[in-house]
Amino acid sequence: MFDRDIWQEIFNTIKKNKLRTFLTGFSVGWAIFILVMLLASVNGMQNGFYSQFNDDATNSIIIRPGTTSEAYAGFEAGRRVQFKNEDIEFIEKSFPEDFVEISGRYYANAVARYKAETGTYSVQAVHPDHQIIEKTIVISGRFINEADHVNKAKVAVIGRKVAEDLFDKEDPIGQFAEFNGLPFKVIGVFIDEGDDNAERRIYAPISTYQRIYGNTNDINVILLTYNPNYDLTKALEFSDKLETIMKRRHKVAPEDQAGIGVWNYAEAFDDISSFTSVLKAIGIGVGFLILIAGIVGIGNIMVFTIKERTKEIGIRKALGARPNQIVNLVLLESIFITALSGFIGLLFAWGILAIFGPMFNTPAFTNPNVSASTVITATIVLIIAGVLAGLIPALKASNVKPIVALSDK
Amino acid sequence: MIEIKDLHKSYKMGSNSLHVLKGINFSVEEGELVAIMGSSGSGKSTLLNILGMLDGSDSGEYYLDGVPIKDLSEKKAAQYRNKFLGFVFQSFNLINYKSALENVALPLYYQKVGRRERQDKALNYLDRVGLKEWATHLPSELSGGQKQRVAIARAMAAEPKVLLADEPTGALDSKTSYEVMDLIQKINDDGNTILVVTHEKDIAHMCKRIVHLRDGVIVEDTKIEQVRAQEYV
Repeated sequence: MFDRDIWQEIFNTIKKNKLRTFLTGFSVGWAIFILVMLLASVNGMQNGFYSQFNDDATNSIIIRPGTTSEAYAGFEAGRRVQFKNEDIEFIEKSFPEDFVEISGRYYANAVARYKAETGTYSVQAVHPDHQIIEKTIVISGRFINEADHVNKAKVAVIGRKVAEDLFDKEDPIGQFAEFNGLPFKVIGVFIDEGDDNAERRIYAPISTYQRIYGNTNDINVILLTYNPNYDLTKALEFSDKLETIMKRRHKVAPEDQAGIGVWNYAEAFDDISSFTSVLKAIGIGVGFLILIAGIVGIGNIMVFTIKERTKEIGIRKALGARPNQIVNLVLLESIFITALSGFIGLLFAWGILAIFGPMFNTPAFTNPNVSASTVITATIVLIIAGVLAGLIPALKASNVKPIVALSDK
Repeated sequence: MIEIKDLHKSYKMGSNSLHVLKGINFSVEEGELVAIMGSSGSGKSTLLNILGMLDGSDSGEYYLDGVPIKDLSEKKAAQYRNKFLGFVFQSFNLINYKSALENVALPLYYQKVGRRERQDKALNYLDRVGLKEWATHLPSELSGGQKQRVAIARAMAAEPKVLLADEPTGALDSKTSYEVMDLIQKINDDGNTILVVTHEKDIAHMCKRIVHLRDGVIVEDTKIEQVRAQEYV
C-alpha cells in the first residue's frame, strides 16, 4: 500500500485527467460538505434546545402538590394536598444518597415600597439551596444563607428589574424596602439568563415568610437536584421512587397525576434527544443519498480510466502482475480520490463552522458544530465509499485478458 | 525446455469455428534460437500466445521446463509468466509514463524484488543493451530501436527461462532491425532460449532454426547456419 510504484501510477493518472478527477472529486467533497453541515445544523438545534433549559439545573426535579382526582385510602376525590416542612425532612432522610440540594418554595405577593417607588412583585420564599437548583446568578450582594434561614431574617434578594424599578440608580444592597409594610433588608440582586420575567421576582427565606403568614409550615413546591452522575435511567428511577413514596405519604392514589406531580427535567431531555436524533437520522439519510451520487461519479471515472488503460493492464499482466495487484491499484486510486476530495469537503465545512458557528446564538439555533466522532465516522464512510466506487471497475480491470489487451493496438 | 504434443486450438467466430492450430508437435532445447515463420493466418501468433500462457489450448500437452501448463488460474499464470517468460512485442508495449529504467524494473517489481535491488538490476540490464545513459528518459524520448532494446532489457530483467519475441523487428527499419537482432543473438550466445515470430526471411535466417507454419500445422522444421547480424550493422 505504501509502495512508491503504486502511488506514482495513481498520481500519473490523476495528473493526466485533472479536470475529470476534479469534477468527480468535487461531487464527493460536496456531498461530505452537505452531510457535515446537516449534522452540524441538527447539533445547533440541539444546543439551542438545551440552552433553553440551561438556567435551571438539568438534574433537577420539581414536586408539586395538587388536588386529588380519585378517592383513595378512605379520602374522597378533590382533596387538596399540602406539603409541609416535614416533607422536606422526610425526603432528606429517605434519599440521603440520591439528592444533592433540596429547597421548598412558598409563593406570596408583595407590594414593595422604597422611598416614593412602589410595585407589586411575586415573592418566592425559599431555602438557601434554591440558588443552586435554579442556577440563580447573584450579580451583587449575596443569596439567602443558612443563618438567614435559621434566624428567620427579614432579608430579600431582588431581581434586576425590581432593583431598577425601586432603587433606580441607587445601590440597593443594605437598603431597607417595605414589603406589605414590613421592612426587608436587600442583601442581593440577581439576574436570570433564561427569562426577563424572572427578574421581577423577589427571593426571601422561607422560614421568614412562614412566620409572617401565621406560623405555618406549609410549602407550595419542593425542588431538588439529584446526583449529577446519574444517567437518564437512574434519574428516572429516582423520580419514580420519589413519586411513589410521596403519594403514599399523602395518601394519593399511585396513578393520580393531579394529586402530586413529579416533574423530572431528565424526561424533557429525553424527549429532546429523541427528537434531535430523528433529525440527525434524516440529516444522515439525505447526506448519504447525496454521497451515493458522488460515489457513482467516482465509479464512472474509474471505469473510463480502466478502459483507457486496458493495454497497460495487459502489459502488466504479461509481465507477471497478479489479478489482485491490479485490483489493489484501482481500489487504492479510487479510495485516494474519494478520501482526498471528501477531506477537502470536510475541512471546508469544518472551517465554515469554526468561523461562523459561534455567531449563531438564538434560542432555536446555537453554535452549530461537529464533534470529533462525526469527523471520524465521515472518514470511515469515505474510505468505504472509495472501496465501493472502485470495486466494480477494479474487478473489471482484473478480468482484462492480456491477449485481448495487447492485440488492442 | 519447451515440449508441445498434439496442440489444438480453435476460435469461435459467431456460429463458425475457426480451427487455427491443428495438432502441433514441437520441442525446443535450452539455448536454442528458433524462428517461427508463416504467413498471416498460419497460426504463428496463436502458437506464441499459447506458449506465452496468454491464451489456453483446447487440447494437447505443453510442458515448460518440465512443468505442465494446463488450466492455470489467473494468479498461477501470472506467476509462471513472471518466472518463466520474457516478452518482446512488435509495438514495444512500454508504459509511456514510466522512464526506461522503471519499465525495465517492472517485472522485478512483480517478483517482489526490493526497490534498491530492482533499480540496480534494471540499470545493469539497460547497460547491457547499451542504453544506460537513457535510463531516466521516457519512451516518447527514445527512437524505435531504442524502445525495442528497452523492451528486450525488460524481458531479460526477470531472468526468464524463455524469451518470446513477437515480430520484434516488425515496426523497425532494416538497419535498426539488424541492431535488435544482433542484441538478440548476443543474449542467445549467453545461453538463453529465444523464440522469435517473424515473417521476414532475413530475420529468420539470423536464428539457428526455422519452423514454418502453414494452416495450423508445422510444414518445415530445419536447423540452419546462423547469419550474424553484426555483419550488417
